[in-house]
Amino acid sequence: MAQHLNSSPRMRRFLAWLPLVALAIFILTPLLSSLAYSFFRADGSFTTSGLTGLADSGKIVAPLTRSLIVSVLAAVILVVTLVPAVVAVHLWAPRLRSVLSILCTLPLVVPAIAIVAGLSTVLRSLASQGRGSLGMQLNTMLQSQDLPLVLVGTYVILCLPFTFRSIDAGLSTLPLRTLFESSSILGAGLGTTLRRVIIPNIRGPVMFSLFFTFALSIAEYTVAATLSINTLPVFLNTLSSTNFRGSITLSVLLNLTTWLLLAAATVSASRFGHRPNAVSEDDETEADDPAAASRKDAVTS
Amino acid sequence: MTTFDRTRPSPSGIEQSSEPESVRFEHVDKSYGSTEVLKDFNIDIEAGSMVSFLGPSGCGKTTTLRILAGFEPVNGGDVLVGGESVLKLPPNSRDMGMVFQSYSLFPNLSVSDNIEYGLRIRKVDAGARRGRTEELLEICGLSGMGTRFPHQLSGGQQQRVALARALATQPKVLLLDEPLSALDASVRSSLRDEIRRVQQALGTTTVFITHDQGEALAIADRVAVMNDGRIEQYSAPHEVYASPATAFVARFVGSINEFAVDRDWTIRDRLPVEPTPDDTVFVRPENLSITAAPDGFLEVKHSTYTGERTMVHLGLPGDHSPQWSASLASAEADAMCPGLRIDASVTAEPALRLDRNNAEGLPA
Repeated sequence: MAQHLNSSPRMRRFLAWLPLVALAIFILTPLLSSLAYSFFRADGSFTTSGLTGLADSGKIVAPLTRSLIVSVLAAVILVVTLVPAVVAVHLWAPRLRSVLSILCTLPLVVPAIAIVAGLSTVLRSLASQGRGSLGMQLNTMLQSQDLPLVLVGTYVILCLPFTFRSIDAGLSTLPLRTLFESSSILGAGLGTTLRRVIIPNIRGPVMFSLFFTFALSIAEYTVAATLSINTLPVFLNTLSSTNFRGSITLSVLLNLTTWLLLAAATVSASRFGHRPNAVSEDDETEADDPAAASRKDAVTS
Repeated sequence: MTTFDRTRPSPSGIEQSSEPESVRFEHVDKSYGSTEVLKDFNIDIEAGSMVSFLGPSGCGKTTTLRILAGFEPVNGGDVLVGGESVLKLPPNSRDMGMVFQSYSLFPNLSVSDNIEYGLRIRKVDAGARRGRTEELLEICGLSGMGTRFPHQLSGGQQQRVALARALATQPKVLLLDEPLSALDASVRSSLRDEIRRVQQALGTTTVFITHDQGEALAIADRVAVMNDGRIEQYSAPHEVYASPATAFVARFVGSINEFAVDRDWTIRDRLPVEPTPDDTVFVRPENLSITAAPDGFLEVKHSTYTGERTMVHLGLPGDHSPQWSASLASAEADAMCPGLRIDASVTAEPALRLDRNNAEGLPA
């Protein structure tokens, strides 16, 4: 009798986990296979040739730095432009919120390849103004291999649908208007209010946006390849023709990095979203708080 | 809670270093679209005094406060603080303190950091900031709570922090926008007294917005009763209650009986002075004396017990619902059971006497 009663919830629990396990197998199998291929020869002996091959050639350095710079820039620019824009809409133009929402969602329905096609047309028309012209200079600057600004801009746009939702939701939970008014009647300008009051209260969404944009930018292939900019994923594709094992190793590493970043994004969205609720967390809050930092400066000076 | 003794200096020795400033609204007009909120609005608020703006919701009292704070532009007229127009100044240059109904503390900052916020923006050095914060924590009854966060405090405590935060920068004017409305009744009255105590200790010119007449009368030096974008009466609390200037004030502040002299029974014979036949007189319930009489022209409908006093509701014998009320000491009211015939007379000069042909009220 008791056994019969027990088996039912156990069965249910098993059924609940089943899809999760299936999903894990589906995702982990190729990853583990790649990992195995990276470090083991066909006869089963261990090798690090993939890894050393990557390091030895030295060719990885340029694409890696390029990708890192582009990703960091994209993440920072996205937060620096999107947060004030969404705050402004919440405070002064609530009717424009739906317009902004639609604009920010558009990149989701336009495929990356279509964005690149449009971009290429614009860049070509700039270049067609002739050598030495402003258009040509702009074209060269945007597509510079050292700092491909065109990629930064594109990645910011591509990330908008996800980051806008997150920041918009974060702001909706705040009594934004009274916080803003309290801060300004106490003497704070717009910038100070943003920095000291609003951003610290949407830390979760801001951290999510930073991690998410970085993760998407560092792993993006289509746009970079079509514009012939040698980022890490593009380099990975070229590498597969000369050092196949190396390219698999690199892809595994890149995959894991992206995963970790996305996990960090998810965790930060929920963790930083919580208000500090115990005295033990006071230290952490002070450390994250620019006001506390400036107070320390004042104490030392 | 500490009690404040007016004859001694404030317990913590905290003082308002800047001189309090007067506030003056001159012919201020304000409208939202086609809706006129303030019409030729004028008021003079003496430096260092506390004025409460009392009125029903939508009467324009919050708009007045927001204009003073700089959150709303005006359509005409001028607003002067300390004799100088502030209309061109943005809110962050007006040097005012404000407490909101919804507390509005910064959730990411501790109590101390909230209080220090305005000082930090003014680049006050750390030592002075600490000292000022400690003083304010003490004077507002928050000692030892500096490291807590807003969500760890009760509503009353949060509002004390908001008060301390608003006072930290020694503002020229303190603006209180229904600061007690979100609190429980018991906390409300104690915090009300606390606000008054702190205000008197610091001598800050203060504007207190409320729709609660009890609060308005208890806390302020002067009460401005507002209706429909205008001030109906601006005088000391006891004058607002004892001699209301208009029918609106009479009806809005406290409960009152209205008698049309030529129509409502034989009140004319029972007034201490001779009225004209067209008068409507307004009599406070405590000034209506009732005695049981078998041939009385009124009937007790029911009573409301409020502790010390009991409100006895009266009506004409044939009527269903009561029209008037008399306030009696509860012990005397025991005998006033429903259905009892009574006689009534007015024991004091009516609070207000109006000529019904003339809408504007003249004080009795």
